[in-house]
Amino acid sequence: MKLILLSCISFILLLTGFTAQAQRVNVVKFDKLQQLRNSTSDTLYVVNFWATWCGPCIKEMPYFEAVNKQYQGQPVRVVLVSMDAKQDLQKVKNFMVRRKIASDVWLLDEADANTWIDNLEPKWSGAIPATILFNNKRKQYHFVEKELKEAELQALVKQFKP
Amino acid sequence: MKKPILPLLFTFCLLVLGILGAAVPANETGYKVGDTARDFKLKNVDGKMVSMASYKDAKGFIVTFTCNTCPYSVAYEDRIIALHKKYAPKGYPVIAINPNDVGVSPKDSYTHMQQRAKEKNFPFVYLQDPTQEITKAYGATRTPHLYVVQKQSDGKYKVAYIGAIDDNSREPDEVQKKYAEAALNELVANKPVSQPNTKAIGCTIKWREV
Repeated sequence: MKLILLSCISFILLLTGFTAQAQRVNVVKFDKLQQLRNSTSDTLYVVNFWATWCGPCIKEMPYFEAVNKQYQGQPVRVVLVSMDAKQDLQKVKNFMVRRKIASDVWLLDEADANTWIDNLEPKWSGAIPATILFNNKRKQYHFVEKELKEAELQALVKQFKP
Repeated sequence: MKKPILPLLFTFCLLVLGILGAAVPANETGYKVGDTARDFKLKNVDGKMVSMASYKDAKGFIVTFTCNTCPYSVAYEDRIIALHKKYAPKGYPVIAINPNDVGVSPKDSYTHMQQRAKEKNFPFVYLQDPTQEITKAYGATRTPHLYVVQKQSDGKYKVAYIGAIDDNSREPDEVQKKYAEAALNELVANKPVSQPNTKAIGCTIKWREV
């Protein structure tokens, strides 16, 4: 019992840690991403896959930032998952500062996409940008493998937000 | 009063269809492993038109959708050259096809392709798919995106492998699994391909805007 309580507390601490350090890049392995994907919280997760070298990704990024700002305090969470290599972490950090990115940014430290893409979304060919929106509590899921226009993203968030 | 409703409804339906159409990933309509791939006639950087049929002695091809502008493609250029040098003598030359729309991606123009081919001294043909018809038929979605096809006894081209070159785009020295080479080695040895589908992160193909 004590152990469960303790792990709960550390989990909560971890969570608050995440939100407090929105300007930080969390370098994660795929299991972390899968945990997020399996989250049972009544929250709309908007997970965008991008990279600093991807032109269309950078074009649509302000739309995700806008959603992040617009739904602050509501159960909508934007996570921008960078496909940049871990060696380019500083590049990602500089990019975030330059563009004033406030959304959560993760860097997926998995060199071989072939080992994880199908576990996340078999329909995804690997092209970026790609985005998944989900709320497991409400059994909602939507996958897009293309650059989103601002109106498209807004409509999707409006459709799914709890 | 009633008349304007019909055209409005029509426009609405078109809009809905358009959105639905745009949402369908291109690869669901393209080739799967085992399908017969169509031939093409596309312009090479040397000005000549190239088809698979123009290679009389080939046993198959490494059809590679790649471009000038995607950093992943650029990172793989030397490895595509190495693939060609290793497998062309074994009957499987590389045919590189640039799928990107020049309007959306000006640096993928024919002149820029010629420049890049010259700079890198491409030993393989580098073709442009200006209508994106071949790219759509194959179902390529990203660059680089490989389709290894094998010539059958009836002259048809069977898709034997779709996917990635290897498991590490960023660090060529840290590559552990050479997916495309493994497939090619099996094909050259007349064995079935044990891992015919692999995936990699890549740049989305720049589709012509309608």
